[in-house]
Amino acid sequence: MNEIALKELLYKIADDQLILGHRNSEWTGMGPLLEEDIAFSSMAQDKVGQSYAIYNLLHALGEQEPDTIAFTRNANQFHNSIFTELPNSEYDFSLIRHFLYDTAEIIRFDLLTRSAYQPLADLAVKVRAELRYHTLHANTWIKQLGSATEESISRLQHSLDTALPHALGMFEESLYEQDLIHDSIFAGEKILMERWKQQVEIILSKTQLQLPDWDTLTAVNGGRKGQHSEHLQPLLDEMSEVFRIDPTAEW
Amino acid sequence: MNSLDPRVNRLPAVGVPGQAEPKAPMDQFGTFEVFVQPRDGKPFQHEGVVHAPNLELAFVLAKEAFTRRFLCVSIFVADTRHVHVSPMTEGNDSVLNYIRDVSLQRSTKETYEIFQLPKRGKQHLQAGQVEAAGPEEAMAEAKKILPADKVIYNLWVIRTNDIRYTRPEEKELWLTLPEKKFRDASDYKGGDKLKEFLERAHS
Repeated sequence: MNEIALKELLYKIADDQLILGHRNSEWTGMGPLLEEDIAFSSMAQDKVGQSYAIYNLLHALGEQEPDTIAFTRNANQFHNSIFTELPNSEYDFSLIRHFLYDTAEIIRFDLLTRSAYQPLADLAVKVRAELRYHTLHANTWIKQLGSATEESISRLQHSLDTALPHALGMFEESLYEQDLIHDSIFAGEKILMERWKQQVEIILSKTQLQLPDWDTLTAVNGGRKGQHSEHLQPLLDEMSEVFRIDPTAEW
Repeated sequence: MNSLDPRVNRLPAVGVPGQAEPKAPMDQFGTFEVFVQPRDGKPFQHEGVVHAPNLELAFVLAKEAFTRRFLCVSIFVADTRHVHVSPMTEGNDSVLNYIRDVSLQRSTKETYEIFQLPKRGKQHLQAGQVEAAGPEEAMAEAKKILPADKVIYNLWVIRTNDIRYTRPEEKELWLTLPEKKFRDASDYKGGDKLKEFLERAHS
C-alpha cells in the first residue's frame, strides 16, 4: 500500500470537512430561522467531528496530533478544495454549496466503506450515516426553494451558476490517483464525479433550476495542491486564534 | 438597512409622523408536532413543536431541534392542525369519563394513532392505533383499548396518513448519536478543569 497516497487522500478529505465545517458554523446564531440555525450548526459540528476522526487516522500513521494538524498549518499546507473556503455571502449560496458538497461527500464515503484500508472503511460507515441526514436536509431545501417563488428560484439559480465551477474543483485528481485505485483504497475522483453529476441532475430535475451543459464549465482547481484563494488564510487565522493563545492548554 | 443578521432587519422603520396603520401580520411558518422514540420498544413521546413550511421540512428540522442530544431511534411529525384534542381533566378524574360513545356507520374507516397523557405536566405518549371514521369515533375507540383502571388526563388522536414517519432506511440518522456526548454540557467537566487550574495556580 502506498502510504503517501493514503495520507494525501486522508488530508484532503479531512481538510474539506474542517474548512467547510468552520465556514458553515459562521451561520450559528444568524440562521434564517431558529430550527434551521440549529440544524445547520449541528451539521457543521458533524463535519468538524468527521475531520477530527480522520486526523486521528493520520495520527495513527505517524502524523501530528489532530489539534496541531488543524490549528498550526498555513494555507498552502491545506489540501481542501477552494470550493469549501469561499465566504458564505447570502444563505442561498451556503445552501447550494451544502447541496453540491454533501451530494459528493456521501458518494465519496459510500465508496470508502469498501476501502482496502480497514480503519477508513470502518469510519466511512459512521460518516455515511451522518451524511444521510446532511443530504436529506440539503435535498429537501433545494427541492422546496428550487420550485417555490420567483425570488427563491432566481437566488438559487444565481448561486448554482457561481458555485458549479468551484464544485468541480472537489474532484481535482491526486498525483497518486492510480495508486489509490490499484490498491483499492479509493475508487477515484472520476467515478465519484460521474456519480455526483447523476445525483445532482436527479435532484435538480425536481426543481425549476437549470443545469448548464457540464462541458461548458471549467473546474476551479489548485486547492488539493495547496494553491488557495485569498479567503483561506483569514479563515485559518480566525479558527486558530484561541488555540494560538496557549497551544499547550487543555480545553 | 440590509444586514446579514436577520434581527437587524426586523428592527422597525422610523415611519411617518401621525401614522396609525394596522400591525403587519407575522411572517412565520406554521407549527408541526414532534414525537420521539428514545429506544426500540418504548412508546413515542411528544417532545414539542417546530416551525416549517411543510411536513417534509418539519421532519428534517425536527431531527436536529429535538434529537441532537440524548437518545433517539426514530421520530415522526404531524401538522398541529391535524392533532385532535380531548378535554383535559385533573385529580382522579379520568378523561375517559368525558369521551362520548360514537359509532359512525360510514364504510370508509381509517387508522388513527392514539396518544394519552398519564401525568399532568408531562408528555403525551403513544398508546396504540384504532380504526375509525373520524376523530370523534377514534376517541371512542381509544376508550376501548385504554386501561379503565388508570387515570388518563388527556387524549390526542392523529390520522395515521397525516404523519411523516421515519422510513426504515432513515433509521441510521441516529447511528452516531450515542457518541455525541460532547453535546451535553455535563460532558464538559468545567468544574474539574477549574479546580485543576486553581490547584496549579496556588502551588
